[in-house]
Amino acid sequence: MFNKLIADSLSRSPWLYHINTGSCNGCDIELVACLTPRYDAERFGFKLAGSPRHADIVVVSGPITSQSKDRLIRTLEQVPRPFCVVSLGSCPRSGNVFKGSYSVEGPLEKYIHVDVSVAGCTPKPEAIIEGLYQAARILKEKRLAIQQERKEAD
Amino acid sequence: MELILKALGTLFSVLIYPGFLFVSAVGLLLAGFDRKVLARMQKRVGPPLLQPAYDFFKLLGKETLVPSRANKAVFLAAPVIGTASLAVMMLFLPIFGRAPLSLRADLIVILYLLTIPAVALILGGSASGSPFAGIGISREMVVMMAYELPLILVFLAVARKTGGSELCFSLERIVAWQAEHGPLLFHWAMIPAALAMLFVIPAEVGTQPFDAAEAETEICEGPLIEYSGAPLGLFKLNTAIKMFLMTALFCTLFLGGSGVTVTLGPIWLGAALSALLNTLILLALCLAVTLLCMTLVHAVTARLKIEHLFRFYWTVVAGLALISLILVWLGL
Ligand code: SF4
Repeated sequence: MFNKLIADSLSRSPWLYHINTGSCNGCDIELVACLTPRYDAERFGFKLAGSPRHADIVVVSGPITSQSKDRLIRTLEQVPRPFCVVSLGSCPRSGNVFKGSYSVEGPLEKYIHVDVSVAGCTPKPEAIIEGLYQAARILKEKRLAIQQERKEAD
Repeated sequence: MELILKALGTLFSVLIYPGFLFVSAVGLLLAGFDRKVLARMQKRVGPPLLQPAYDFFKLLGKETLVPSRANKAVFLAAPVIGTASLAVMMLFLPIFGRAPLSLRADLIVILYLLTIPAVALILGGSASGSPFAGIGISREMVVMMAYELPLILVFLAVARKTGGSELCFSLERIVAWQAEHGPLLFHWAMIPAALAMLFVIPAEVGTQPFDAAEAETEICEGPLIEYSGAPLGLFKLNTAIKMFLMTALFCTLFLGGSGVTVTLGPIWLGAALSALLNTLILLALCLAVTLLCMTLVHAVTARLKIEHLFRFYWTVVAGLALISLILVWLGL
């Protein structure tokens, strides 16, 4: 029962950590807009965390430039499990308008498994909240899977 | 046999009521109210009332990472020390009447017990070895010094008012005095001290305008930056418990009294009912104080810089407490 409570809480209180890998700032503004009184993502328990150690959902925006690639990988290694990765906007998905540039090393899929991908340039706040909400549910499944693994290991 | 019963009783009061379990549940609920009402003040829907509880249980289910540069033992022990001292502190607070633990100098013990969680935060932060934590703990120390002086002045004023020339530091006797002469808040000489105490509460808890030590937008929660999983959850729990304890302390010092006594049926039933009623009254008062001195202030102000915070506490707040102390010493 305790395990179920924890898994439930995980989907109700996902804290976001946002990494900008060379985005044009459009997506970043829209993500913050989700937390304003108009959209109020805090209804679902979403909160912006300042440190990757506090993160449950890592939101990546931007096409992943060569300058930010190593930092992205290093940051992702510091996030405690279970966590989800959400790619925000068309940039981390395909490179978008920056595709083919000498300094772009995307897409994000090359470096880590992406759980939810929100498309658009920029995506609407409604779409972002929808995507984050799905990620929160995936978080719960991941936690249940970890518990299953532990049980089998015993 | 009697010894075992007594030991069991103490264990019950430390772990369940009014110790750890009770203060955690009430603290998390109070923090939930704070967030909900704050959201309503900003015209938002806001998180559910149980949000802090969800946050706590979620953090229990996350992996605990210890940075390679950290001192592992201190890093992990710090939050536990903080929680333990807070759970013990509740035993000294009488809920309108008797407290499970009572000494001649409760107020002085409480002063020390209140310092321990802040020191635990400083210890944990410095053990993590992060530069952000370094800035955070230096600020935390300044905040501690800032609110400690007014707090001591308030305690002295209360002790002098209730105890006459021999200073009464026993909370039970302070409450008994108030049952006789009316709550201290309604003695006009004590009103400045009550105001000062209302300012001390948010600084002690570390809520918005006075949260320079944990400013998440500039130093990423300072001492907490390297924490994850259960230890982080305990620190969040400590903040919630402090919210309840500080408001309860305010209620005991300034709004104390005999409470209500129910005489109904057998003695144990009456005692249980009156304990329940008194607890509910205390909770309602705590909620009102929380909304007044934390939520409202949070909603209308922005974060103070650390030097402004220090100056504010050592001039305005300490001044208020000092006025009360002088008035009381003059016998008013
Ligand atoms: S998807 Fe569009 S708005 Fe978002 S970062 Fe890329 S170019 Fe900017």
